[in-house]
Amino acid sequence: MNGVFLAILGAAIATVLAGIGSAKGVGSAAQTSMGVLSENPSMFGKMLVLTLLPGTQGLYGFIVGFLILVSSGVLSGAPTVTMAQGFAYAGASLAIGFGGLFSGIAQGKAAVSGIAMTAKDEKNFSKGMVSVTLVEIYALLAFIVSLLVVIQVPNFAA
Amino acid sequence: MAKLKMKTVRIIALRQDRKRLLEHLQDSGLVQITKSEKSREGFKRVNMSPQMQVFERNVELTERTLKILDDISPEKAGMLASFKGRRVVDPDDIGVIAANAQEVIETCTRIAGLDKQCSDNDAEQLRIKTQLAQLEAWNTLDIPLNCTGTKSTAVFIGTLPEVYSEQRLKQALAAENPALEFALEIVHTEANTTNVVVIAPISQKTMADDALRALGFARPMSPTHKIPKEKAERLRAKSRQLTEENEQAKKEIAGYTEMRERIKETQDYFRFRADKYNVINHLDHTKHVFVIEGYVPEEDCETLEALCSRVATCAVEFGEAGDDAPVKLKNNKFAEPAQGILTMYSPPGKTDIDPTPLLAFFFYFFFGMMFSDAGYGILMIIATGLMIKIFKPDKKMRNNLKLFQYCGISTTIWGLVFGSFFGDAPAAIYNMFTGSDVVMAHSISNMNDTTRALMPMPVIDPQKDALTLMIISIAFGLVHILVGMGCKFVICWKQKDYAGAFFDTGLWMLMLIGFAVLAAGLITTPVLVTVGAVIAIACAVGLVLTQGRGKKGIVGKAIGGVASLYDITSYISDLLSYSRLLALGLTTGVMAQVFNMLSTMMGTNVLGIVFMILIFIIGHLINIGLNALGAYVHTMRLQYVEMFSKFYEGGGKEFEPFTLNSKYIKLQEDK
Repeated sequence: MNGVFLAILGAAIATVLAGIGSAKGVGSAAQTSMGVLSENPSMFGKMLVLTLLPGTQGLYGFIVGFLILVSSGVLSGAPTVTMAQGFAYAGASLAIGFGGLFSGIAQGKAAVSGIAMTAKDEKNFSKGMVSVTLVEIYALLAFIVSLLVVIQVPNFAA
Repeated sequence: MAKLKMKTVRIIALRQDRKRLLEHLQDSGLVQITKSEKSREGFKRVNMSPQMQVFERNVELTERTLKILDDISPEKAGMLASFKGRRVVDPDDIGVIAANAQEVIETCTRIAGLDKQCSDNDAEQLRIKTQLAQLEAWNTLDIPLNCTGTKSTAVFIGTLPEVYSEQRLKQALAAENPALEFALEIVHTEANTTNVVVIAPISQKTMADDALRALGFARPMSPTHKIPKEKAERLRAKSRQLTEENEQAKKEIAGYTEMRERIKETQDYFRFRADKYNVINHLDHTKHVFVIEGYVPEEDCETLEALCSRVATCAVEFGEAGDDAPVKLKNNKFAEPAQGILTMYSPPGKTDIDPTPLLAFFFYFFFGMMFSDAGYGILMIIATGLMIKIFKPDKKMRNNLKLFQYCGISTTIWGLVFGSFFGDAPAAIYNMFTGSDVVMAHSISNMNDTTRALMPMPVIDPQKDALTLMIISIAFGLVHILVGMGCKFVICWKQKDYAGAFFDTGLWMLMLIGFAVLAAGLITTPVLVTVGAVIAIACAVGLVLTQGRGKKGIVGKAIGGVASLYDITSYISDLLSYSRLLALGLTTGVMAQVFNMLSTMMGTNVLGIVFMILIFIIGHLINIGLNALGAYVHTMRLQYVEMFSKFYEGGGKEFEPFTLNSKYIKLQEDK
C-alpha cells in the first residue's frame, strides 16, 4: 500500500480548485473589459493587465500540482510515496486549492470594479491595479504554505 | 535628482510684440502659463474665441479626414508602430506647412464631402432596396400601379390581408354585395397578403369600393404612374449608378492617400495655433501692453529672460513660487525611466522629496528578482535596445523602454543567481540529445551533490532552497521599508519636526532593526538574540512613552502610547508581503521548466526536434508574457503600498509648459 493515489489527488486538488478560482475571476473581469473595449478599443493594454490579474491563482495551483508530481516521482514513472507522504501532499494541496479558489473569485470582483474605474478615467489605472493586487497576498500566503510543505515531503520519514 | 526649484514669472510686453513673443515662448516650452478666468482691475481680456474656433474646426476636420482615409486605404503599419516617435520636422518647414495649410484644408473638405456623398448614397440604396422589395409582388402587373380606372371602368389595385384564391375572392365579394359586377385577377399571393386587381363598371365604383374595404382592401403605399416592371428596372439602374458613384468617390479618396502626411502636419500646425490663441484668451491686456504670468524652473530663468528681451520690448520679473507651484522632476539617466512610475502614482507634493532614484533602484532590483531568468533578461535587453534604435520613440515611450532595459539587466543577474536560463533549457536539451543526467547547477543547500552541473558556481535554487530564499526576500523587504522610513525621517528633519523624526520614525526603525538582529541571532549566536531583544524592548518602551504626546491628560497619553504598539501588525504584514519575491521568482522558473519538459518529450528524431523548437518558442513566449506582467504589477505594488505608505504624500501638480503640443510632428531642436 502506498500513497501514489493521494499524491495525485493532491496535485489535482491544487490545480483544479485554484484553476476554478482564476477561471471565474478572469472570466468576469474579461466580460467587463470587453464591454469597455466595445466603447473605447484604445484601452486594450490597460484592460488586459487588469483582466489578467486574477489569473495568478491558477498558476500557483498548477505549480504546486507540478511540484507534487515531480517530487513524488509520478512524472519520472517511478513513484515512491508512502501513505504518510501521500496524506502530506494531499493536505498541502488544500491550502492553495481553497486559497486560490476563493481569492481568485474575490480578486475577479475587485478587478471588475478596477476596470469600471479605469474606464471612467484612465488616470485611475494604477490605483485600480494596486487595489486589485491587495487581494493577491492571500493567494500568495496559501501558495507559500503549500510550497514549503511539498518541498519538504520527500524528507519525511516513512 | 530632485524636484526643480520653481519661480513665478511675470512678463509685461508691448501688444505689438505679442505674436512674436508667444511664438518664441511656445517654441522654447520654458514657461507654464497660468490661465485665470477673470482679469484684474484695470485690465481687459481680448476675445480670440472666433479665431480659435476656426483652428479647432480645422483640427477636427483633419482628424475626420484621416479617419476616412484610414477606412478606405488603411495605413500600412506594423504591430509595433505605436512605439514609433513623432516625425521630426525642420523648424523652417513650419512656414511651408502654414503656406500650404489652406490647400490641405480644401482637400480635406473635398474628402469629407465625398465621404458624405457616399453615406447619402448608401442611404438612398437602402430606400431603393425596400422599394424594389415592394414592387417584387407586382412584377406581373402590366398597368401602372396608380391606375384608378378608365372612362367606363373603375380599377382597384391593392392588397387584401388574407390569402385568397380567385374563386374564393369572387365568392367573398359576391357575399358582400350580390349586385356588384366585377372582374378580378390575382397578381401574387404570399403569407397573409393577396395582391389583386379588381375591375368594376364606373357606375358601381362606390359599391365596389365599399365591398372591397369590408374585406380589408388597401392601395399600395407608394403607387407609381409606371408599370411596375419598368419602375423596378429604373430603380435598378439608379442603384447601379449610385454604386458606381461610390466607387468613383472611394477611388478619388484613395487617390489622396499620399496626402496623409501633409494632413497630419497641417493638423498639428492648427493645433499649435489654437493653443496659442487659447493662451491669448487668458491674458490680461491694457491698451498698449499685456501681461503673462506663470511658472518657470529656476535653472531656466536666465534663458527665459534672454529670450524675452531678444524678441520683444518687455519687462521680466521673477518671484518666489508658493506651495501650489507645479512640480518638475529632474533625474540622471539611471533614475529617469522610473519617473513615469512615480507620476503614475502621483507627482510629489509640497513637502515630499523626490524618491525617484530610490524607486528606480528598488524597481529594477525587485523586478529582476521576480522575473529572474538570464535568458529572458537578455531578450529584454536586446528587444528594448532594438526598439529604441529602430523606432526612435518619443521621450515618454523611450523612458518606458529604458525602464524595461534596466529591468532586463537586473533580470539577467538574478537569473544567474537562481541558475535559470530559459528555465533549465541548457540542461534539458543536453540531456535530451546525450541521454545523460546533468543539472543546471548545484543548489547552495546541497553543495556536495555529485551529479554533473553545467554552471560552475552554486546557485540559490528557488525550488530546493525555498525557505532560505523566503528569508532573503523578507530581509530585502526590511531594507526596502527601512529606506522608506528613512525618507520620512529626512522629511521630518527638514521641516524641523524633530520629535516626529526621532519618536515616530526613528524608534520604529530601531525596533525593526532590533527584531532583525533577534531573528539573525536565532540562526547564529544567542548573544544577538539578547542584543536584539534589548533593542526592541527599549524601543517599545520609548514608543509607549512618546506616542501619546499629542493627547491630553496622563491617561490619554498612556493609552495613546500603548495603542501605537498595535502598529506592529501592519509592519509584520508589510514584511510578509515581500514573500511574493520568492513566489513569483519560483513561478517563472517552474513554468519555464514545465515548457522545457514538454518540448523535449518527443525524442531526438526530426519530428521531435521540430516539435521541440515549436513548443519551446510558444511556451517561453507565454511564460514571458504572464510573468513579466506579474513581475511588473507586483513590483509596482511593493513600491506603492509597502514603501510609499511610509513617507510619500503625493498630490503635486505636474509642470505643464506652454509648448508645441503635437500629435504627429516634432520640431527639430537646433540650439
